[in-house]
Amino acid sequence: MSTTEPGTRSGGPQQAERPTHSALPEPADALRRTPIPLFTKVFTDSWRSLVGWGAGLAAAIFLYLPLFPSMTGDAGMQDLINNLPPELTRTLNYEQIGTGAGYTQATVFGLIGFVLMTIATTSWGAAALGGDEESGRLELTLAHGVTRVQVAVQRFAAMLVKILLLAALVFTLVWLLNDSAQLQLNAGYLLGTTLLFAGLSLLIGSVALLGGALTGRRLGGVAAGASVAVIGYVFNALGNQSSDLEWLHALSPYSWAYSNDPLSAGPNTGTIVLFFGASLVLAAVTALVLRRRDIGV
Amino acid sequence: MSSPTPFSPDAAIAVTDLHKSFGRHQALNGVTFTVARGSVFGVIGPNGAGKTTIMRALLDIIRPSAGHATVLGIDSRQAGPALRRRIGYLPGELILEGRVTGRRLLRHYADLSGPVSAGYVDELADRLTLDLDRAVRTLSKGNKQKLGIIQAFMHRPLLLVLDEPTSGLDPLMQQEFLAMVQEARGLGQTVFLSSHVISEIQQAADEVAILRDGRVITVNTVDELRTSAIRHLRMNVTGIGPAELAAGLERLPGVGTLECSVTPSGSTEALATLAGQIAPFIQFASTLQLTDLVLEEPDLEESVLRLYVGPQASVVVHS
Repeated sequence: MSTTEPGTRSGGPQQAERPTHSALPEPADALRRTPIPLFTKVFTDSWRSLVGWGAGLAAAIFLYLPLFPSMTGDAGMQDLINNLPPELTRTLNYEQIGTGAGYTQATVFGLIGFVLMTIATTSWGAAALGGDEESGRLELTLAHGVTRVQVAVQRFAAMLVKILLLAALVFTLVWLLNDSAQLQLNAGYLLGTTLLFAGLSLLIGSVALLGGALTGRRLGGVAAGASVAVIGYVFNALGNQSSDLEWLHALSPYSWAYSNDPLSAGPNTGTIVLFFGASLVLAAVTALVLRRRDIGV
Repeated sequence: MSSPTPFSPDAAIAVTDLHKSFGRHQALNGVTFTVARGSVFGVIGPNGAGKTTIMRALLDIIRPSAGHATVLGIDSRQAGPALRRRIGYLPGELILEGRVTGRRLLRHYADLSGPVSAGYVDELADRLTLDLDRAVRTLSKGNKQKLGIIQAFMHRPLLLVLDEPTSGLDPLMQQEFLAMVQEARGLGQTVFLSSHVISEIQQAADEVAILRDGRVITVNTVDELRTSAIRHLRMNVTGIGPAELAAGLERLPGVGTLECSVTPSGSTEALATLAGQIAPFIQFASTLQLTDLVLEEPDLEESVLRLYVGPQASVVVHS
C-alpha cells in the first residue's frame, strides 16, 4: 500500500509538484494518529456484535456437549438414531454420533456452530463494503487519505481476525468440556478441525465481501455469502445420500472441510491452506473490483 | 464573464470537458471551468444539474466517462491518499455513523487524513456550537451537518470541496460558516462549494458558475451578477394616472414586468422590476409626487434564473 504521490508517477507538465502544496505546514501539536485506523475501527464499531456471536457459540457448545455422556450411556439414544430415516441421518451428519468426535463434529462444527458462524461472517462481509457503500458512509471514508485497496484489505483483515477470535473461543470451550463431557478428543485434530471451521467461515465471509464490493449493496453480499453456505450444505447432504451423487461433494466447501471426519480421522492440512488461500485470492479480487468502480451511484 | 483557462498552473481545480453518464442518463455534458488558488468558487444549479457529480469526480469517488480534472495540479484519476489529505470534503448527502460520539468519529477521520492540531476540533465545535460528546445518531440534521463541516475543515486542507454546505444550518450558523470560508481564503485555502440557491453563498464566493443539465452556462463574478441583477420596485404616486405613469416608466432602461393600477385609496401604484443602473429611475421619480417607494435588494436568484430563460418584457396597465 503505497502512500507516495501518484501524480508524480505519470509526469506531465501539469502534474509537476507545486510548492504551494505544503503551504499549510504540519502543526507541531498534531494529535497522535492511530495506526491502521480502518482495521481498528472495525473493532471499536463492532465489538458488541463480536461478543454477541461469541456468547451464541458458547451457549451452543454448553448446551450440546455436556449431553454427550447421557446419550452414550443410554443405548436407546443410538437405537433412536438407528431408527431415523437414513437419509435424515446422512443429511445431519449423524452417522458417527456415537463417538465423542462424531458428536462434536455433527453438533458444533457441522450444524449449530456452522450456522452461527455463517450468519456472522456473511453479515460482516456484506456490511464491510456493500453495506457501507449503500449507507453512504464509504464515500466519505474514501474522500479521506486512504486508498480503496487499503479499505478492502484492512476490512478483510479485521474479518479474518474476528473469525480467528471466535474459532479460538470454540477451540477453548470444546477442549474445556473434553473431559467432563467424555468426548475423548485429540487436541491436534480439534485444532485442525477448528481451523477448517474458521477457514470455511472465512471463505463464506470473503465471498460476501466480494459480493458487496461488486454490487455496492449489502444484499448483494448477503446473497453471495449465503449462497455458498447453503449450496455447500445442500450439496454435501445430497452427496451423502448415494454414491451416484457423491460428486457433489467436490462442489461443496462444506464437504471439503468435513466430509473426511477431521475430528476423528485428522484434518487435511491442504484443505486448511486451500480455504485461507482462496479467501486471500477473493480479498485481492475484492480490492481490484473496488478500485475500478464508481462508488455510491 | 471570465473565460476558463484550463491547465493554468495556478489553478486549484481545472476541469476540462468533463463528461459522465450513468447508464443512459448524461449527468455531465462537457463541463469546463477553472478555480484559482486561494479563491472561493461557487457552483449554483438546480438539483440534478451535476454539482455533486463534479465534486465526486474531483475526489475520484466516481470516474469521468470523458474529459479530465486536475486537482492541486494532480490528475483526479491519479489522486492518492496524499492528495486527498490536502482536500476537505463535505458530501451532499452526509451520512455519518451513529453509535459513536462526534468526537470519536472526528478522531477516526483525523486518523485517516490528519494531522489535526490539538484543540482545533474543539475550537471549531465551539464556533458552530456543537456538542461533540453526544452520540451522532442523537444529533439533529443541522448538528450532523456541523460535524461534517468540522470534518472537512479540521486538518486545514489546501482545498475545501463542500457540497451544499449550508443545508440544514440555521441563518446564524450559515453566517458563522461563511465567516469560516472567508478565513480559509485568508489563509490561502481554496474553497469550492455548491448550492442550489445563490443567496446562501453570494457573500462568500468570488466567482460563481451556473450549472444546468450537466453544462456550465456561465461563470461570473458575484459583482458581475449583481450589476445585471434585478431589483423589485413598488411605488405609489398621486396626481398622475396609471397609463401616464406606465408611459414614463417604460421609457427607462432596465424596467420590466411593469404593472400600473389605481389603489383603493385613490393613488396610482406601479410594480416593476429594475435591472442595471438606478440613476435614471431616481431622476424620473424625483419629478413625481411620491407617497411610497420600495426598492428591494437585488435578487441574484432571479438574475441567475434569467440567464436560463432570457429577459421578458411585459407591461400591464389596469385603469
